[in-house]
Amino acid sequence: MLSCNDLVVAHGDIVALQGVTLQVEAGETVALIGANGAGKTTLLHAISGLNRVSSGDIRFERRSIAGWPTDARVSAGIAQAPEGRRIFPGLSVEENLTLATVSWRRWRQSIAADLDRVFGLFPRLKERRRQLGWSLSGGEQQMLAIGRALMARPKLLLLDEPSLGLAPRLAEEVYEQVRCIGETGLTILVVEQNTVLALSVADRAYVLETGRIVLEGPADELKHNARVREAYLGR
Amino acid sequence: MADFVQLIINGLAIGSVYALAAIGFVIVYSATGVVNFAAGQFVMFGTFAGVATLVNAQLPWPFAYGAALLIMALFGALFFVSVYLPLRRGSIVTIIIGTVAVSITMQNAALLSFGSWPFRLPSPVEDSAVSLGGAIISLHALAVVAVTAVMVAGLWLLFNRTSVGVGMRAVAQDVQAARLMGLKVNRLLAFSWILAAVLAGVAGLMLGPMWFADVNMGDPIALKAFAATIIGGFGSLPGAIVGGLFVGLSEVLGASYVSSAYKDLISFGIMIAFLLVRPQGVFGEKIQDRG
Repeated sequence: MLSCNDLVVAHGDIVALQGVTLQVEAGETVALIGANGAGKTTLLHAISGLNRVSSGDIRFERRSIAGWPTDARVSAGIAQAPEGRRIFPGLSVEENLTLATVSWRRWRQSIAADLDRVFGLFPRLKERRRQLGWSLSGGEQQMLAIGRALMARPKLLLLDEPSLGLAPRLAEEVYEQVRCIGETGLTILVVEQNTVLALSVADRAYVLETGRIVLEGPADELKHNARVREAYLGR
Repeated sequence: MADFVQLIINGLAIGSVYALAAIGFVIVYSATGVVNFAAGQFVMFGTFAGVATLVNAQLPWPFAYGAALLIMALFGALFFVSVYLPLRRGSIVTIIIGTVAVSITMQNAALLSFGSWPFRLPSPVEDSAVSLGGAIISLHALAVVAVTAVMVAGLWLLFNRTSVGVGMRAVAQDVQAARLMGLKVNRLLAFSWILAAVLAGVAGLMLGPMWFADVNMGDPIALKAFAATIIGGFGSLPGAIVGGLFVGLSEVLGASYVSSAYKDLISFGIMIAFLLVRPQGVFGEKIQDRG
């Protein structure tokens, strides 16, 4: 479904990604793990079109999207729940969710079914639907960020550090929902520093170090890989 | 008492004009981060668009007003394309200085086309007045207050009930996240400039009959709109309305009860007092962290 071929992204003189090749097949949950500063967010931004690609190609459903603006990529089916959640603080929960339907919604088309689906996954959002984004707790904001991305009716869901800044129990709760979403057949690419959580939901995983993919394979295999255990699992 | 009512209505009318100018200023500021120093000249252009269509072309007033506002909308789009887009990759200060340059250019363009002699822009309700408990109130002043009320209601609906308006609020709060939601951010930014220009146009058309249409009228309006946003709360739309009305009232009441020589001193004195005591203004920012 998504393939990045030899992707190079530079911020000024600093090369953040130096030739990343990565594949995500339809229906898979793929984890991209790596330390802070390895280039994980840069890669997601490149896929969403927030970063310009210096060389290499990004293909989505066999079409090259490297030159497309972000809104065209969202319309094509790539939605992202960004790092730090980035909820619109002055918009209500419902406005945050409704806003994300602009990519597909036609004039006066109902979004009730989509709202119900998100409220079904995250019942707490329904209780808070009239509250402004800033008044939510960190966990609720993360749920809203994921729910908001789902409102775009994506084919590929990009999650950037969904566990960031959450208490361990909350992070597990969020990942439980990510697993549920994956089980509905949605393709997910999740970027994460918390290797244990990411590998627990993923089918396959890539390890990114200083802008290069250094390891890839099925999640179960990587869990037992000596290098991953030492560098990321602390054992 | 009759005098007082009359003064209140006149103050609200001039305050409405300041409020509309301040709203345009705030819309652009919150969407793009640009402090538009040409905001006063936008209003001046609105007045002169009225002079061109109503006085020079002698169009009947509904067409003249429509044409003038259309000119302002096109001007807003032109401003977006020729000033904001080329400069937006630079620092925000560059764009702000750009608006200063445009402001001077606009003033001189108006001077070249219309000359330095002031015009009188008529009102559709010219010379009509109603008597209200002994007070003689010009129909134009009442119309200005009514039109502004309708505009404010329309803006409230736009920002709370339409996807374009909610999208504009989202862009103002977090541009990058707005892009990730699939919003066509550039289109919404262009719309912000167009909306600001049209609001300035309405303000200019309503102000013309109260003042004279003079190519130098932009600067005092910009200062008053600026004072209104400071008093109301920088970046707040309700603040722009309350601040605008407040400045208008203090100016009119100050001129008649204190001294017309000190009318500006009163409104700017209040602005300075706000900066010292309550810099976030009446409404402040509802959101401390803009995300």
